[in-house]
Amino acid sequence: MKIFWAFARQAFQFISAYRFNFFMEFILVLLRMYGIYWVWRVLYTQRPGAFGVDLDQMVTYGVMGMALELFIWSRPQWYMANQVKSGAIDTDLMKPMDFHLYMLARSVGEVLIGIAILALPALLVAYLFLDVQFPPDLWTGLMFAASLVLGFLLLFHLNFLLGSLSVVALDIRHISWAYFSMVRFLGGQIVPLWLFPSFLRALAEVLPVKGTYYIPISIYIGRLTGSEAIRAIEFQLVWLAALVLLSRMLWGWAYRRLVVQGG
Amino acid sequence: MEALRLYFRLVRLSMQARMQYRADFIMGILSVVALNAVNLGLIGIIVYRFVDLNGWVIWELFFLYCLWLLGHSLYSLFFWHFWDMEEYIIQGTFDQFLLRPVSPFVQFLGREVQYIGFADMSVAIAGIALAYTNLDLHWSVTEWFFFPLVVLSGTVIETALTLMTACIAFWTGRSGMAIDLIMEFNVLVQHYPIDIFGLWFRVIVTGIIPVAFMNYYPSLLLLGKFDPNAPYAWLVYMSPVVALALTLIASRVWNLAIHRYSSSGG
Repeated sequence: MKIFWAFARQAFQFISAYRFNFFMEFILVLLRMYGIYWVWRVLYTQRPGAFGVDLDQMVTYGVMGMALELFIWSRPQWYMANQVKSGAIDTDLMKPMDFHLYMLARSVGEVLIGIAILALPALLVAYLFLDVQFPPDLWTGLMFAASLVLGFLLLFHLNFLLGSLSVVALDIRHISWAYFSMVRFLGGQIVPLWLFPSFLRALAEVLPVKGTYYIPISIYIGRLTGSEAIRAIEFQLVWLAALVLLSRMLWGWAYRRLVVQGG
Repeated sequence: MEALRLYFRLVRLSMQARMQYRADFIMGILSVVALNAVNLGLIGIIVYRFVDLNGWVIWELFFLYCLWLLGHSLYSLFFWHFWDMEEYIIQGTFDQFLLRPVSPFVQFLGREVQYIGFADMSVAIAGIALAYTNLDLHWSVTEWFFFPLVVLSGTVIETALTLMTACIAFWTGRSGMAIDLIMEFNVLVQHYPIDIFGLWFRVIVTGIIPVAFMNYYPSLLLLGKFDPNAPYAWLVYMSPVVALALTLIASRVWNLAIHRYSSSGG
């Protein structure tokens, strides 16, 4: 835990050096929340029956989708790609710490800071102005929290896998555009899975990315309850175990192929 | 003219440098196509469920999206690297442009060409053509004349806005996030007709960050959706005017910024 705080402090120092940027990012998050809020409101007024949930739940889903970004998006892949490109990765590998864990610690630090200074203030605005609901009861809130942590870990490992690929592919900038949009789409960040056409839904239901946005938010708004919610969390756990294993294997493979240029 | 000749020479050089990485080139094109497919897919799903979005049917929404994208594709082809300006300023490498006896603006522009713009352009043209047939549009000569003007105005609007925003870096050292913020306004305007949003948002994207002139207002005209008697109906013709005004302002800002520059001595 001490290590995580150390990285959180580091991330904080980095952010406070660029306050203007940070402020811009805050506005950007609010803007995204505002946009999706209106889309669902307008659609709901048009055809209230088509959602399967009520307006407050739908708006909460949309706005939380934007907020959750800050809770679960860490960027180990950028760090890894940059270090590989510049050759500075050798200093990371010399640290007396497992590389995979080291990346996890960095990401946790990054996200903790993001939550404290971006996500919580943004959510406060959302509660005050965008009709976002609290979870219906404490038990739901706790399950949401557990599911959120799992969502973060799932996404961290997907990103870590992409970062490992950067060792062989060198430039991942372009792949990551396609990757981001796929995660957001199949993860249900903007449109929840239950609104997908059936063939797309069948695909999205089995992939791990639905554990990033869709499962935590669906639990939060009370769409997934009781045993369904438990099963969804089990789904996240099983995929997490598989992805941890896969990450260790892929990184091990990439590590053996790593070429450090100059430095 | 001399400046233009030099610009194309610089562009050719950067193109040659780019072509060194062929795999990256192909990945880039594929990724952009995938990204647009996902965005259009999301719009498709929404409208498939709800038939229309505030009176805009699916092909009208695709038209809106692709009209923005077509203007944007020219921007991303030639001006994408405004985003990198802050790096030049922070590291002090902007000096190099001031030392040579050619306009720093031309030198900076010639640094890079983003071939990704070609992918955007193909998607946009295909989308507009499909929308045109599926909506059974029949443009008159006036509309055909107006259309390329709108596309170019779109490019100019986005370019001028990004340039001005990038210039913030001359004062604060950082501008990337501010450009991202402008981009987010763009994304919302590209995806959804602005009439679904609240009043203040519409005022901002019309009067302050006028990105709605890239697609929304001209689309009303090109899709035959506007009522000439409605208040502010004249806005549908205003894209070229807005583009011109922004160009004038942006060139002033650039000149101010250049004189403000003090090297970080990198």
